[in-house]
Amino acid sequence: MIQTQSQWATLLFLVIFLGGGWIALSREEVSESASAIILTEAPIVGYLAPDFTLQTPLGETIVLSDITAGAQGQPIVLNFWASWCGPCRIEMPDLQQTSMKYNGRVAVLGINQGENNQAITQFGTEFNVTYPLLNDQNQEVNSTYQINSLPTTIFIDANGIVREVQIGIITKAVLEDRIEQLIAEAE
Amino acid sequence: MYPAINIAGFALPTAGLLYIFGAYFTLSVIEKTAVWVNHDSEEIYALGTVTLVAGVVGARLVFVSEYWAAFSTNMVSIVWPLNTGYNSWAGLLIGLVAGFFYARGKQMPPAKTLDAIVPGLVFGLMIISLKDFLAGPGYGVISTVPWAISQFGISRHPVQIYELIAGVVSLGIWWRMSRSERRDGLLFLITTGVYSASRLYLDALRDNAWLTTNGLHVWQIISFIILVLCVFYLRYYLPAPTPKTNNQ
Repeated sequence: MIQTQSQWATLLFLVIFLGGGWIALSREEVSESASAIILTEAPIVGYLAPDFTLQTPLGETIVLSDITAGAQGQPIVLNFWASWCGPCRIEMPDLQQTSMKYNGRVAVLGINQGENNQAITQFGTEFNVTYPLLNDQNQEVNSTYQINSLPTTIFIDANGIVREVQIGIITKAVLEDRIEQLIAEAE
Repeated sequence: MYPAINIAGFALPTAGLLYIFGAYFTLSVIEKTAVWVNHDSEEIYALGTVTLVAGVVGARLVFVSEYWAAFSTNMVSIVWPLNTGYNSWAGLLIGLVAGFFYARGKQMPPAKTLDAIVPGLVFGLMIISLKDFLAGPGYGVISTVPWAISQFGISRHPVQIYELIAGVVSLGIWWRMSRSERRDGLLFLITTGVYSASRLYLDALRDNAWLTTNGLHVWQIISFIILVLCVFYLRYYLPAPTPKTNNQ
């Protein structure tokens, strides 16, 4: 144990010298810090969002990577839902309002879990949804994103990196909070 | 890894579950450790409860005030759902302020109180590491060490496990020192210093660390400041210098 002032001063000096040195040594090139992760696609925070191609009931094809591609890439809110899911129905008006509010700056996509075009269209009409509701009848994308609970909402930044996975119902305030952060970073 | 745990058909978010259990166990820990440092365990438990409740409620209320326009159209959403929608920094500040004034109001001895609650603080941080490990985010840099964790085909340092080990070591030191004679406050300084030093080292192994604009690790800087403060205040625990005898 430290017994004298000089031992204490030596310890303090060592802590400052070694600690400060370690911080300097650990410094990362900011652009480099993301590159190690983004080579891998995975539905978890910090990784590149797995790409997919899905269609709306009207036949419009949506490719995830097209939305984030290039300098004009947009953040994405991926919402996994089903018409039988009560909490999905509760949050749907908030998602619709939010998609209208941030139209052109953020892409909101609804990915259905295992239902047919008729069920999706009916649901869209019931809630006046204007953003794309995508058919994933064989649940390939649901499986890739490891969705085992509905609703699940995934926030993806303009570089295509997963930033947050939100399991359970989401409110308008939380949507706005996360979207504004993503927009601020993209600008 | 396990963002949700399925129990009897219900998918429960791992993070939420761990926070609830973590809060309960953290309060239980400080209740026990208070006895070991001869502090009133009920008082310490109450202090922990006040800090936690004030922190959580404060974090929620600040978030609600920030997005009042969204909440005002649906007032029920202020109290439900509660799985997300908190301002964590505001919560931390409000919790600490509430705890400070509670302790002051109850005239709790500061150094001994800090000695009693520090295991709870370390335990709470260990719960966050465990949550990150189970729920997926925050793995370490790519590694070939035999104990690396494979995540989507890439082997990485299990940095959260290292953090858990650092927590266990810090708690072990606290427990060992609490058995011996010491001045009040020393347990807090040593435990906090050891845990901060380990986090200062380990954050370099994190792959998605929170960085400053020039690439420095934010948690390393915070840990460094805390560590330096702990070592600085150790000065007050040095034995008093023995007076020189004047043999004439």
